[in-house]
Amino acid sequence: MVQVVFSPKWFWGKDILIDSIALLVLLLIAIFATRYYRVKKSRKCLYLALSFYLIALSFFSKILINFTIYYRVLHTQVIGSMGYTQVVLKSSEILSVSGLFLYRLFTLLGLFMLYSIYEKQSKANIILMMYFIVISIFFSKEEYYIFYLTTFIFLGIISNRYYQNYKKNKEKASGMLAASFSIITLSQIFFMFVNFTKHFYVVGEIIQLIGYIALLVTFIKVLKHGREKDKD
Amino acid sequence: MEGKRTRIDIIEDMLSSIINKGGRIKPTHMMYKSNMSHSQMKSYLNDLVQKELVRKVKDGNYDYIIITDEGYKFVEKLKQMREFEKVFGL
Repeated sequence: MVQVVFSPKWFWGKDILIDSIALLVLLLIAIFATRYYRVKKSRKCLYLALSFYLIALSFFSKILINFTIYYRVLHTQVIGSMGYTQVVLKSSEILSVSGLFLYRLFTLLGLFMLYSIYEKQSKANIILMMYFIVISIFFSKEEYYIFYLTTFIFLGIISNRYYQNYKKNKEKASGMLAASFSIITLSQIFFMFVNFTKHFYVVGEIIQLIGYIALLVTFIKVLKHGREKDKD
Repeated sequence: MEGKRTRIDIIEDMLSSIINKGGRIKPTHMMYKSNMSHSQMKSYLNDLVQKELVRKVKDGNYDYIIITDEGYKFVEKLKQMREFEKVFGL
């Protein structure tokens, strides 16, 4: 039996809202990077756009799974029929498990692509990493924390890379980018230990929300700063 | 040492040279300010005129190149992209 719902019931819907904000922030950056790629034809920018689209897609899968489950469970509670509840949960289970698989696959592929922008990969390395990504997804079906341990490691390395970039250029926005990715990295620790108590899921979601809001502020700062420099 | 300028870098230099001169510039000045050969500038300039980023005007005996609103917007977009590039370490 694969565990799909990690949120305490009182938090249902609120987590969907938080994930929707993350999805929106990711899409904004991905769309900007796509425009940038169209003008500058920079390959790195294309990969950045693709990685943000993939992570956005993973959030979309997660929102879809949660929405389906919450809606169906709440709906069956209102109807109050045991037989009906069982049928609905069985039919939604396939959708939920495949949605969960896609959520994890898109997240790890997106993070790997983002990581590869900064750490150049050989073809052999890419194949090897793909293998590990698929393995970690399959294992994480049983061992939930393996997936979040992997995202934690990817995000940690990416955050460090952004921090190194900040140390080099001393731009405030670069520091904010490193900080927002570090906050998102921190949230993964709480998701990892959600089996102890579902409250960790809530804490993880709130920290993740702070991280994505910081990322949005950073992005707005980049756009504004670009304009201000233009006026100088 | 900086690498070879890309096409976009050259366009940005051309448009910035007009902005730095208050919105209009003589073609020869633009050539020097943006470090270009005559033939190179001619080809780029035609492209910019076609895309309506700049316009050629005559004032007395002199030819001038003026930047359009679209040109200003394009430079703004390029500055944002450069900032994005720097912040994300691309």
